[in-house]
Amino acid sequence: MASRVALKVGGKGKNSGKGGRGGEGKSRTECLKEWTDWSLHKAKVIAHYGFIPLIIVIGMNSDPKPQLYQLLSPV
Amino acid sequence: MAGFPPPGATILGDAAAGKKIDEVGKKKVDYFNLPCPIPFEELQREAIMSLKPELFEGMRFDFTKGLNPKFSLSHSVFMGPMELPSQGAETLKIPTAHYEFGANFIDPKLMLIGRVLTDGRLTARVKCDLTDDLSLKANAQLSNEPNMSHGMVNFDYKGKDYRTQLQLGDGSLFGASYIQSITPHLSMGGEVFWAGQHLKSGVGYAARYENDKMVATGQVASTGMVAMSYVQKVSEKVSLATDFMYNYLSRDVTASVGYDYILRQARLRGKLDSNGCASAFLEERLNMGLNFVLSAEIDHKKSDYKFGFGLTVG
Repeated sequence: MASRVALKVGGKGKNSGKGGRGGEGKSRTECLKEWTDWSLHKAKVIAHYGFIPLIIVIGMNSDPKPQLYQLLSPV
Repeated sequence: MAGFPPPGATILGDAAAGKKIDEVGKKKVDYFNLPCPIPFEELQREAIMSLKPELFEGMRFDFTKGLNPKFSLSHSVFMGPMELPSQGAETLKIPTAHYEFGANFIDPKLMLIGRVLTDGRLTARVKCDLTDDLSLKANAQLSNEPNMSHGMVNFDYKGKDYRTQLQLGDGSLFGASYIQSITPHLSMGGEVFWAGQHLKSGVGYAARYENDKMVATGQVASTGMVAMSYVQKVSEKVSLATDFMYNYLSRDVTASVGYDYILRQARLRGKLDSNGCASAFLEERLNMGLNFVLSAEIDHKKSDYKFGFGLTVG
């Protein structure tokens, strides 16, 4: 128990030290990493939901242009 | 007849006629005009096509509807047991059923293939020819579960008698490969890869010799894999293939022998393995656009019997 408390205190001290060095809450590399993670995550969600609709839109606009009912009917 | 010199020819004429006989008798190899080799990842494609068909267990129904020569939609239903990776010797199977919707757009310059399952997993493949020689390929498997999505991008450059490829994958995976034609029949190549997440890297070499009747390939990699394959085209309709894979780090050996009958209305592929596994795969054309598929795999060592049937329309 005591050792765990000691580790936590040590961690807090380290964090404040790093912040003090950077001049703000997060350093620049951390900001960049967070931004790339966020943008990659958004790109993944867009690809996941948008890929098949993209293929359908490109296909429906290629010639000879197919009709809309052909998308749904089994013939 | 064309090679014989006319009577009374001069010395120059003799030399020229001599060269003609040489060409007719044995084709002179022009080492500056070699054919472009097969891409590195498709080195063993004849052996893989003959020995590793898409075996399945259960019922499969595929329907492809073409709206356009370039654009088509596909609906696929599968019902059958799905194998789970299990630690023990026995195989664990759960019955599953799923529906898969797919859309394909196939153009000479751009190919887009997307498949989505009922549980939300998306498989996407993109192939784009940026210029005549440079092409971009991308595959991705995206799922709703966190950390279960993967993606890979390849850049392929095709030179006069060589091909190179650069591969970038998620989890900081880098790979590069190069293959060169050495003679009109022989091509050799190598690859390197580096996987950042698993901290693994490796080098591999491969060679492929082919002529009209046979294809022989060999591949060695620093991951411990040694693979050799040989495919002989016995006639227009029959091919025999054999494959040998050895891992010198884990001392795992597998050898297999198989046949591939390409008939007018059917294609039958059968294989026998050194792991005690016999498998067969039949695709029969019942009618225009209607194919019947039968798959069987009997694993005598694990006592695992898999039989599947299906219908493919369109």
